[in-house]
Amino acid sequence: MIALLLSIALATGAVLACWRARRWSVGRSAPVAVLRGALRLPRGYFHDVHDVVSRDRYAARMHVLAAGGFVGAVLLVFAVHLFGAAWPPLVWLLMVFLFAMALGALYVLARRWPKAEARLSKGSFQRLPWSLLAFALFFFWASLPQAGAPPIDWGAPLAWAMFALGVWGAAEMIAFFPVGPMKHAFAGALHLVCHPRSGRFGAARPDSALRALDLSAPRLGAETPADFSWNQLLGFDACVQCGRCEAVCPAFAAELPLNPKKLIQDLARAMDGTGTDARYAGSPHPGREIGRARGGPRAVLIGVDAMIHPDTLWACTTCRACVYECPMLIEHVDAVVHLRRFQALERGAVPGKAPHVLAELRETDNPGGHALSSRLDWAADLSLPILAEGGECDVLLWLGEGAFDLRNQRTLRALVRLMRRAGIDFAVLGEAELDSGDLARRLGDEAIFQSLAQRNVAILDRRAFSRIVTADPHVFHSLRNEYPAFGGEYTVLHHTTFLAELLEAGKLAPRAKPEGKIAYHDPCYLARYNGEIAAPRAVLDAIGAERVEMDRSGMRAMCCGGGGGAPVTDVAGKRRIPDLRMDQARATGASVLAVACPNCANMLEGVTGARPDVTDIAELLDRATEGP
Amino acid sequence: MGQYDALLKPLTINTITFRNRVFSSSHCPGYNKGGHITERYIRYQAEKAKGGLGLAQCGGATGVSAENSYHYGQINASEDWIIPEMKRLTAAIHDQGAACTIQLTHGGRRERWDSENWFPAFSPSCRREPIHRAFPAVMELHDIRRVQRDYAQAVRRAREGGMDGVEMSFQSATLVEQFWSPAMNFREDEYGGSLENRVRFGLEALEEVRREVGRDYLLGIRMPGDEMLKDGLSQADCIAIAKIYAGSGLIDFISVVAAQGSDAVSSALIWPSNWVPPAGWLPLASAVKAEVDIPVLHAARIADLPTANRAIAEGHIDMVGMTRAFIADPHLLKKALEGREADIRQCVGASYCVDRIISGHDTFCVQNGATGRENTIPHVVPKAETRRRAVVIGAGPGGLEAARVLAERGHAVTLFERETATGGQINILSKAGWRGAMQGIQRWLDQQVNKLGVEVRLGMEATAEDVRAFGPDIVVVATGGKPNPGWFKGRELATSTWDILAGRVQPAETVLLYDENGAHQGPSCAEYLAKRGVKVEMVTPDRAPLLELGETTYGAFMKEMYQAGVVVTADQRLVHVYREGNKLVAVLANTYTQQEEERVVDQVVGECGTLPDDALYFALKPFAINGGELDLRAAAAARPQALESNASGAFQMFRVGDAWASRNIHAAIFDSLRICKVL
Repeated sequence: MIALLLSIALATGAVLACWRARRWSVGRSAPVAVLRGALRLPRGYFHDVHDVVSRDRYAARMHVLAAGGFVGAVLLVFAVHLFGAAWPPLVWLLMVFLFAMALGALYVLARRWPKAEARLSKGSFQRLPWSLLAFALFFFWASLPQAGAPPIDWGAPLAWAMFALGVWGAAEMIAFFPVGPMKHAFAGALHLVCHPRSGRFGAARPDSALRALDLSAPRLGAETPADFSWNQLLGFDACVQCGRCEAVCPAFAAELPLNPKKLIQDLARAMDGTGTDARYAGSPHPGREIGRARGGPRAVLIGVDAMIHPDTLWACTTCRACVYECPMLIEHVDAVVHLRRFQALERGAVPGKAPHVLAELRETDNPGGHALSSRLDWAADLSLPILAEGGECDVLLWLGEGAFDLRNQRTLRALVRLMRRAGIDFAVLGEAELDSGDLARRLGDEAIFQSLAQRNVAILDRRAFSRIVTADPHVFHSLRNEYPAFGGEYTVLHHTTFLAELLEAGKLAPRAKPEGKIAYHDPCYLARYNGEIAAPRAVLDAIGAERVEMDRSGMRAMCCGGGGGAPVTDVAGKRRIPDLRMDQARATGASVLAVACPNCANMLEGVTGARPDVTDIAELLDRATEGP
Repeated sequence: MGQYDALLKPLTINTITFRNRVFSSSHCPGYNKGGHITERYIRYQAEKAKGGLGLAQCGGATGVSAENSYHYGQINASEDWIIPEMKRLTAAIHDQGAACTIQLTHGGRRERWDSENWFPAFSPSCRREPIHRAFPAVMELHDIRRVQRDYAQAVRRAREGGMDGVEMSFQSATLVEQFWSPAMNFREDEYGGSLENRVRFGLEALEEVRREVGRDYLLGIRMPGDEMLKDGLSQADCIAIAKIYAGSGLIDFISVVAAQGSDAVSSALIWPSNWVPPAGWLPLASAVKAEVDIPVLHAARIADLPTANRAIAEGHIDMVGMTRAFIADPHLLKKALEGREADIRQCVGASYCVDRIISGHDTFCVQNGATGRENTIPHVVPKAETRRRAVVIGAGPGGLEAARVLAERGHAVTLFERETATGGQINILSKAGWRGAMQGIQRWLDQQVNKLGVEVRLGMEATAEDVRAFGPDIVVVATGGKPNPGWFKGRELATSTWDILAGRVQPAETVLLYDENGAHQGPSCAEYLAKRGVKVEMVTPDRAPLLELGETTYGAFMKEMYQAGVVVTADQRLVHVYREGNKLVAVLANTYTQQEEERVVDQVVGECGTLPDDALYFALKPFAINGGELDLRAAAAARPQALESNASGAFQMFRVGDAWASRNIHAAIFDSLRICKVL
């Protein structure tokens, strides 16, 4: 009878799995090394996934018990009850797994009843602890005879009741495994195998570079779910709605209309025949009602009446906090940029000041529309050496857009002084330097980015230098990680890394210790995009700073709100992201908030009221090493 | 915060690149002695270069010829010994990233004949100029040639001294302008008569200069945009001259001024105080810019960065002079570049600086005690080693400055003010018509004091017990003064200028204003009354009215008072006031003959300075370690105060400003700065 139950459940599960998988077939083909992916699965799960899961100790314990118990139990249930392998030690092991599973279910229960944590989705997930328990309880009971207890009297009402429980448990856990709350395990495992960024597994540094878009493709970016690759669609289905992304999203915190979990759910639900978000049971995009979104596998995704409102799409700062926290390894930012590419390149529908900024980039090669010859205006009295075509220097200092901005000219000035103090042979490109293209790329205008990247690469290739140093993490990321796709392979250093090196080598000698506590704000594009969190802290430690950490720092730091073109798309929220971040800085009691990015400097310095001084690491080091 | 893109845009003229568009125009702060460049002057210029100037124009009215005089502290570039001195000056400026030029000037009739080498003043024609009062010798052809050669040699010295360029002063009615102006040139030879003849002398001088230094040396002229003088050069004439010079190919830039400064009112126009609206003369420069194709510079009452930026951004001029703005805050641009724009101490146009120059003194800023004293007083107050407890009583300019400086030192400061607002006498003086901008002094101090966390207690008259209850280590008494009722009989019948300006006493129909001070207070009140329809006679026992005022504010006040119908009487002392019916009789005695005369008026207003409001000071004196005594030698050298005369004393106490003696705003601020910066 149990064997029959299991057989039916298994058959149903297999049919539903195929049915589920058909959803992803609308997606574009993508080259996937399935075998290599499958071999990678254990390490992917126990290393990459578990690294993320274990950041939440409670969830980690819960998952080890529930998932470990479940996987072990299911295999043994099949062995014992379907194939009749009733060797007692095996049965005892089964019962141990079932016990662990039940314990895990209680963990699940405890965080969902009586009231679920805010970030968790409710709906069918609220059944999960009960169905886990039902499954564990039934099979524990059903296995007792094999463990030596008297056989079950199937005529007794208790047996009927237990069997009913078993039917439900098996249905939830096996038959509806590919479509119910357990879908995450099904799609999640396949996602690990077929992950669109196979490079992120076992990599020394984050695999964060956007993939180049083929600009000759008939359609650029994603208009409908069908415009994503099939394994991206699979990834959306892997979402377990744990809301870890929601908890760290700066836009969500400031109540901009973006909840990354809902965004992924919108994409997953759009794959349904008649896509709607009516049954979504988590937090909404702030300020937006649930139940109004409509879509389908080949329906337009972005629109006022579509699955995703344009404001949701443009509220993202591309900070990658969601990606970093996602235990299912979903790539939210890739999805956002892919959607933006269609809006920018096919529809020309970029909001706020973005069209103006993109037009300036197209026409003047910098977002501010400045004459490129004025990039050195701030340094007229510094006589910076210019690296001409055919010229040679050790360090090429890439100035970036900060050179056009009063605030960040101070940082650059400090950096130049430091280089001179350290006796570095450096030069700048002067008017030959074009914008890196970072902003255009995050806004989805891949055409502008590629044009800038190709021309910058050509400019760099006509000059000789051993490495590039820049004070702009966005430039750093583009040049280091995204230019290689365009033939530009350079050694690129962020200025904090470079300065830490100079200190290490004794070329700079700090003499004055800064007063007061200093908190360091990690730029997203330095930390999460590139993994560099040690060098800036090493510089601060070298000058004897009394360094304090904000609650969210390092790889888990919160964005200033200045990335991804958010300042120019300017989607309104209840609060401003930098205000939230500054509150966190204030809470440390720091008198200085050290930054290492021109965008962060501007966003955080724009915060009104009493607050720590916003000072770049270069400025702090400059002060500390100034001569008598 | 503004970006000031236009202002911060580098500019290249001839071979010199300026890092931004801000310059300080050439002026004589009176720090140089006998034509020699002093260390004090070098530090003064270097401080402003450090503060971000693009171009430091040095050496106002630098002499070129043997007959030139140096009583304003001009530099003497007529001999080669100046070259090494110039080198030290230009190196100090260049070290800070700024460029520098020097202004070469032959004053013509605007010279004293009775100094330096005791030669007569020279001019194209013999007309006396009212400020220098010389009867000039008429220039013969050999004088013309000699001076032209002198110019060329002086430019050579400037170049050898490291100057990036030279500005030839063809302005403020000096020699070349004397040739240009039909109000000053009555010659009948080829240097007088037609415009072509009148511009010849200057053109020949420039040709001589170019022969000496070549075409690749930065050379410009400074000239009026309108002489604003009867029979003088009109705006159209000035534009015509500008076109001739710009078209000659001899010069690289033109710097435009207004008026010519050959009398007191014209001085008030060419070196405008807050009597002239901000950027008031910009249209004159803009008009020249529209007609010439070389860069145009302009400086006059442009004190704030937004205005300066607009002047450039809107294309009126190519570089903007912020001369007095940098005297008020030598670190002006640096602060903006560092994102500390709110910390800029903005020039209020008091003209204390320029008036001191014209009076033959050294320049100081009414509100900044450090400018011109860089040798002893740094612009950035250093932190004290130990934090002490300080109480300041009185929040006028002296008290506010004391609180600011003590807070900058890192001390815990409490500031008491019995009124409900800070500012003291500034609140009264700024009531007078055009002097409202003076409020800026206290606005900045207020803002700094708040920023630095001084505890300000308004509306609280502190007693000695209140002060002692704080257990202070430092007490600064800045309680100011009360109006001095004067020494005449019946003084209780008179009202004070304070009461009139503050609106506490209604003006009557006819007023005798007795001014035994000679500073701003009397004329401020007279003008205030007259403009409200009051018939005012201002009487002074001095030999002339407003003897304490320098040329530019004097000119402004006199013009306003005369226009408003004020009658000014000198040499009469008020000796007695008595009531007769509903009128007052004022008895005046001639200062020389003692002969008496009477005026029958509705109101007598007295201005005799202030008397110290020193009750609190004396109440606290027994508890002060130093008994309130200031070590004058130490203060003069800005050294720490260490007097100890009372072993049982609990704190050091000092009184500053009018609480000590009736003086002015600068004195109050400087008292506080030099004492407190070492406490």
